[in-house]
Amino acid sequence: MSDIKYLETHEWYLINEEVITVGISDFAQNELGDIVYVTLPEVGQSFEKGGAVVEVEATKTVAEAYAPMDCTITEVNSQLETEPETINNDPCGDGWMFKAKVNAVDDSGMTYQEYETFVS
Amino acid sequence: MDKKTTQLHSFHESNNAKFIDFGDWSMPFSYEGTLKEHDIVRNSSGFFDVSHMGRLEIDYSELDKISSLICSDLINIPMNKALYSIFTNEHGNALDDVIFWKFEDKIILIPNASNASKIKSHLADHKVDFIDKSLDTVLIAIQGPNTIELINDRFEIPDKFSTAKSDNFMYARTGYTGEDGIEIMASNDEADSLISFLIKKGIKPCGLGSRDTLRLEASLPLYGFELTEDITPVEASLSWTITNEQDFLGSDRLKAQIQDGNHKILKKFTIKSRKIARTKTIGISGDIKGVVTSGNFSPILNKSIGFILFENKPSQDLIEFDIRGNLIEGNIVNKRFLS
Repeated sequence: MSDIKYLETHEWYLINEEVITVGISDFAQNELGDIVYVTLPEVGQSFEKGGAVVEVEATKTVAEAYAPMDCTITEVNSQLETEPETINNDPCGDGWMFKAKVNAVDDSGMTYQEYETFVS
Repeated sequence: MDKKTTQLHSFHESNNAKFIDFGDWSMPFSYEGTLKEHDIVRNSSGFFDVSHMGRLEIDYSELDKISSLICSDLINIPMNKALYSIFTNEHGNALDDVIFWKFEDKIILIPNASNASKIKSHLADHKVDFIDKSLDTVLIAIQGPNTIELINDRFEIPDKFSTAKSDNFMYARTGYTGEDGIEIMASNDEADSLISFLIKKGIKPCGLGSRDTLRLEASLPLYGFELTEDITPVEASLSWTITNEQDFLGSDRLKAQIQDGNHKILKKFTIKSRKIARTKTIGISGDIKGVVTSGNFSPILNKSIGFILFENKPSQDLIEFDIRGNLIEGNIVNKRFLS
């Protein structure tokens, strides 16, 4: 299992064997403010890298979370349907959004240190 | 250009406010989160720095002139009352929605921040004299069900929608959240001690984010969204403000609209889901098209709410919204969102 990596579009992903877990960064949830609703994908849906997978409604604005690499959804965090604020409270833990089988590995995300520099 | 900040900017900074640009101003958006602050105001007491709004002092010699520019009866309401009204232009369209505070010796006019310079020019064009007190004072809105009992040891509390003053403060029992509370105008040198007093009482600072969700939930319009120079008070469902029986700027158009009823109309809506129909979202009711002016999540109702401007009166309550390509159903609400 590798470390969490980050994208310039503020998602994080964790690759474990051929499955990625994806969410949004602490910076992103803080910028969005209170999250009140998320539209999650269906299990079995496939996305290309950069495709919009999750729609995140916050009181301030609406944002999308994108696929970090080509993948097919295997599991969504259905807790977010009733408790979307979990993303605010624990963005990189219980606030994960979906798991997906990787169709083309692209582990080009930033490390935590690189991402911290990117957002600061 | 650097944004303007209020007298209390360093207080906001030291309380870790997140800032948002609001017209020419950099204002606190939130301190601890919009929903938390919303909850504080609905259940206890919070305060907002609204010093970006204008504060104009007007002598009673100007009363008739100013009355000819607004749709409400400022002349006959009693002394020491507050009045919500709308400045209209010659077409009856809204230049600004404002609050007047009537005192024995003067009137205070509070225009919106974004319209303050427009209203000052408008008054000058119509030979209304005023003294701009905006830079010499702060304006603090203290709102929430516990507000009165928390501050009544320092402030004599007027009746609802009434004004009062003491040596250093002018205030009114008004607000923009749907909750009880007062709005206080204080000279700049009193600002810090006023804020210290509020903090000591456990009243929490709140930002413009919750002010927006609170006013929307309280069914109150926001200039720039529900009200613009392209809409009359009649079209904005604010006919109740038209109490000025004399002629005023654009009054003929408003009378005609009230009589024939054939005009665009602002309505409130709810959506069963938490999906938000944001500003500019298209909604269709029957064959009448509408555009959302404000939309957000209502923490109390636990669903999405908003205002929508229809091209004409819809004949049914069902609205079909196109939210980023998805068709979502909503309903027109004729009562207030909160009872």
